[in-house]
Amino acid sequence: MPKSVLIVDDHPGFRASARRMLEASGYAVVGEAGDGEAAVAAAGELSPDLVLLDVQLPDLDGFEVAARLQGLERAPDVVLTSSRDRADFGDAVSESPARGFIAKAELSGQALAELVG
Amino acid sequence: MSGLRRALVALGVLAVLLGLLSTALILTSDHSSPRGLLLALVLAAGWSFAFTGLFAWDRRPQNNTGALMTAVGFAWFFQGLAASNNEWIFAIGILGQNLSFAILIHLLVTFPSGKLRTRLQIAAVGIAYTATGPLNLLWALFTDPTVQRDCPGCPENPVLIGGAEGVANAINAIQVIGGSASIAIAIGLLIVNWRRSSAAERRVLTPVLATGGTAFAILFVQLLAGELGAPQAFQGATFVTSVALFACLPFAFLLGLLRSRIGRAEEVSSALSAENQQLNAELQAKVEELRASRHRIVEAGYAERRRVERDLHDGAQQRLMALTMTLRLAREKLDAEPEASAELLDEAMAELGAATAELREFARGIHPVVLSDRGLAAALGGLAERSPVPVEIAAAPGERLPMPVESAAYFVVAESLTNVARYAGAELATVRVERRNGALEVEVSDDGAGGADPDAGTGLRGLADRVAALDGSFAVRSEAGEGTTVEARIPCA
Repeated sequence: MPKSVLIVDDHPGFRASARRMLEASGYAVVGEAGDGEAAVAAAGELSPDLVLLDVQLPDLDGFEVAARLQGLERAPDVVLTSSRDRADFGDAVSESPARGFIAKAELSGQALAELVG
Repeated sequence: MSGLRRALVALGVLAVLLGLLSTALILTSDHSSPRGLLLALVLAAGWSFAFTGLFAWDRRPQNNTGALMTAVGFAWFFQGLAASNNEWIFAIGILGQNLSFAILIHLLVTFPSGKLRTRLQIAAVGIAYTATGPLNLLWALFTDPTVQRDCPGCPENPVLIGGAEGVANAINAIQVIGGSASIAIAIGLLIVNWRRSSAAERRVLTPVLATGGTAFAILFVQLLAGELGAPQAFQGATFVTSVALFACLPFAFLLGLLRSRIGRAEEVSSALSAENQQLNAELQAKVEELRASRHRIVEAGYAERRRVERDLHDGAQQRLMALTMTLRLAREKLDAEPEASAELLDEAMAELGAATAELREFARGIHPVVLSDRGLAAALGGLAERSPVPVEIAAAPGERLPMPVESAAYFVVAESLTNVARYAGAELATVRVERRNGALEVEVSDDGAGGADPDAGTGLRGLADRVAALDGSFAVRSEAGEGTTVEARIPCA
């Protein structure tokens, strides 16, 4: 059974590309969200296995969303992503409950599989 | 020694000589008594006025007061001449003996400037001179002193036409009335002048008014006493008192003059200090304004960089990320699904075109290349073309201007047109940019809703700072229902 994924990003163009890439790599994209609050709500409702979470969102930042997802009854794996480098965020990535970080430029099914199996 | 100083010294010598002559004439007079008192009065009043006047004249040559005081002193010596036993010297003395009072009135009503300014001043002085000059001559023509003045020792009057007591008395009455009127007007003027004066001016006037006012009041009493036939002892006492006061008067004038000098210096100092304080306050305000403006410009710089970063991140960078993923996917599908791969490549090319356009627009926002290459008129044309609201360019400078000026004008128009498109609901915007009177005048007006608040957004504030940095002015007029007009004036020699 393919892993279910929720895509969280405020750019529709990116969400569309990511959906196509994930589906091509064998993931089941169960939903999309454009901001942090919508992401927490969708995750509670859809209970995805994985959340691909953009760090820069219009309301909450990705780290706070990751922390709140961790509090859900069935906490999903979280992979942070951004058009910036991991180094731009200092220790925030390693201190967050997320499984890992993939820069958008390097995002692929294989890179995701290496992080979450 | 200057010419003036030499003339003043010569006048001083003349005053000494006149004093000595008066002394000789009085001491040998057959008809003046009491000689000692008369001599004391003539010398005291004559010399004190003459020398203090010469001193004041020397110290403040531009002020007429010194010359008038000197003239009063010299006029006093007519009293000495009138003591002469020689009929011609006696006649000269008689003709001029009251002149000092007229000059004194002149001096009092014009103190401390010495200049006649108002009609009342001219009236008081004119009447006084007429009564003591021409009328005195007229009186002398009809007066035989040996008879009419009960002066058996007096010399003959050489200008006497004929003793006519009635005529002489009539003329004398006119003189007394004129003199009284003149003194009354002078006292009135002094009172008015006093009431209108500031505290500093009163310090100048006080010694003169106190002494002169009292002296004239006593003289007034003496004139009336003479007319009313008061006892000789009373008339003599009032005469002596008033003359003694007149002798003190020049020192009062001198004190007043010196005080006016000090007072003026204090006023100048106080005015300078006030002006200095005001300049300081203005300078302080300017410094505060500059500090605030500099702070805003630095802030605007940071804000601009954040905007650049955000625009790049949200725009071209996102497209490039999506493009990367699309290309990666196309490559993965190249062997197994070549058609799907070709579709993805088409999509990638479209995305690349959009990213390129976005970058071009973005670069124009940082600095429009057309502005530096082809000037303001061409750049304004480009803004008008891209504006969603129709724009009429009513005027644009054909010549090239300094880059900071062109750039500020461009961004004023660009930001204003952006606001017109976003908020105004206008059907037409008009842009007028003209070089006039050493400045570039920029005006962007629209026929929209108006009611814009210039302080609400950072855009207009930023424009105002950009214009202020070039020493220009910036204003927004936006009455509700009357459209909005943005005006900037940028100095451009």
